[in-house]
Amino acid sequence: MMKKIFIIFSGLLLVYMIWPGPSKISDFKPLPSSAKSTLEGDTIQIPNVAAYFSDNFRNFVVPFYLKNYQQNTYLPFPPLRLNHPPEYSWEVIKKHTETTYLEELVYPLRDSLYVNGYEIFRPDGTPIFYSVPKLEEAGKEWPTKHTLRLYTSNILARIIVWAGIIISMKMIFRLGGRIVKE
Amino acid sequence: MKLKILNILEKTSFILTLFLFAFIPLYPKFPLLNIAGTYVAVRLEDLLIAVVIVFWVIGRYIRKDWDFFTKDNTGKAFLLFFLIGILSLLSAILLTSTVQLHLGVLHFFRRVELMLLLPVVATVFTTKKRLTSALIILCLTLFVVNIYGIGQQYLDWPLISTTNSEFAKGLILKLTPDARVNSSFAGHYDLAVFLASVIVFLTILFFMLKKRWKILIIILGSLSLFVLVLTAARVSFVAAFVGVISALIFAKKKKYLLLIFIILGLVLVYPSQLRDRFVSTITINLFNLGQRYEGRNLNQQLESKLNIPTLPYKMASRSALAAPFASASAGVPVDITPGEPIDVIELAVYRSYQIRFNIEWPRAYRAFLKNPFLGTGYSSLGIATDNDHLRSLGEVGILGTLAFFLILLSVWKKIYRGINNEDRVVRYFSAGTLSVIILFLVNGLFIDVFEASKVASFFWMVLGLNLAALKLKE
Repeated sequence: MMKKIFIIFSGLLLVYMIWPGPSKISDFKPLPSSAKSTLEGDTIQIPNVAAYFSDNFRNFVVPFYLKNYQQNTYLPFPPLRLNHPPEYSWEVIKKHTETTYLEELVYPLRDSLYVNGYEIFRPDGTPIFYSVPKLEEAGKEWPTKHTLRLYTSNILARIIVWAGIIISMKMIFRLGGRIVKE
Repeated sequence: MKLKILNILEKTSFILTLFLFAFIPLYPKFPLLNIAGTYVAVRLEDLLIAVVIVFWVIGRYIRKDWDFFTKDNTGKAFLLFFLIGILSLLSAILLTSTVQLHLGVLHFFRRVELMLLLPVVATVFTTKKRLTSALIILCLTLFVVNIYGIGQQYLDWPLISTTNSEFAKGLILKLTPDARVNSSFAGHYDLAVFLASVIVFLTILFFMLKKRWKILIIILGSLSLFVLVLTAARVSFVAAFVGVISALIFAKKKKYLLLIFIILGLVLVYPSQLRDRFVSTITINLFNLGQRYEGRNLNQQLESKLNIPTLPYKMASRSALAAPFASASAGVPVDITPGEPIDVIELAVYRSYQIRFNIEWPRAYRAFLKNPFLGTGYSSLGIATDNDHLRSLGEVGILGTLAFFLILLSVWKKIYRGINNEDRVVRYFSAGTLSVIILFLVNGLFIDVFEASKVASFFWMVLGLNLAALKLKE
């Protein structure tokens, strides 16, 4: 019985891990009512990065990409939503990224989409501190800027890791049993 | 000829390993080789341990004796743990992109290096004389560690610290007011874990040795307890008592438990930073009491809510590249924010709690969610999580953590049989080692004890010594 469950689990895990998903940032929709950033660092300098100046705030942007990510992946469940400290953006987006929040949408053991928000105005239009810098793009001032970065993984790497997980599980069960009986 | 080489190798391994028992705790953490991207440096002790391991491997190779890894379940669990570590690194580099290759490899090898001390010691200490020499060296080392700690506190003796990136460059420092002794351990937590472990062993030695030695044990034990109080490390203090209590239970000396509780009560009543920290833990962290900093004006109160280091805002008090917390050891920090306690000790206790609950532990939890099987790889959680069990789940996932606990379970089961051994030395030693395992697991709830190099190497060496003792008697 245990063997059957383990085989089914291994099969399902493999299917989940090799299931196709988005491979580049352009697979994701642009934010509605936004202007795509043409600033250096937001275009081609860093792989799989896109940034949008927009009127949208966190409570719209993150669910928007959560849904879009699931649509791109065709999996029956949405990605996990992880809230990171803003300063982590310097590691996962790029150095000197301006941030007020950073969230990661992740399908464990597959790929991640980081959503970095820079919201220096509140939804009611008031600045969050005095003398906030201007966010200008396409001849217009915007209250927020959102930067996306997609981290994908190679399918061969996923298969190797899958095999490693399955073998490790088997070895742990086998050795654990021996140690307990010892 | 082969026998002669083996003999030389074996003797050299013994002398070097014996030297390690003193060198690791006593040699200050001077950096030898700095690594880009971290302030953890390669040190002289790493090279020395590597030399010992190389000698040991050559010896095993000549003997063609790999029984520890091929026949012994503990050795197999070691191999499994290392393999899962490599797999976790692979997944961190290729799948989750959460580690830099060189840092991940460095962290992995450090664990391998420290853990391999167990089989080295278990196979090198083959006679009772050798075991005794290790215990004598440990007692002498402990004496020096204590005297040096007291010297730092009262005579301004120099110290090396690795509590922040600047100190970790090997600066020679002196203790500032309210700072805590670290002796030769470069961090008061590490010293406290070491002292807590040796207090457990001294309790056991007290019953194990003959009358004329008992007075020496009492002196050494009292000295160690005093320095442990000077470190003001609450978790290690609690862990020490848990360890001593379990040692008494394993050694079948339950009638001394009352005495231990009296000593515990006296230490907690004695005015010290340790006592103040215990009180602050309750008043500040549990009941949210105490006087708080309200800010110079309303503007500062508002500004404190914008304390995001990545904002281009003048009042942001820290850089995104700097450590996310400041040492509260030298007076009230300049970056105190509204809502934080004004009292220096209360502030330190408050931040110690906040750092764990709001920064380090959630980071480990996120890493675990990201890859529950293999974690996000060695080094992905930075230098500290301040909870070794969470760190393990975050770095190597459920598989790596299970493999690690298999090692401990396997060693535990072997040593547990030792507490019924007919030889009283083995019996008491086993009781002490089992208690040290418990002590480390308790300490691991708030400190990364299995990664702190000095105490972790001490841990694996002590386990190795006990396994060697068991083999002697078998």
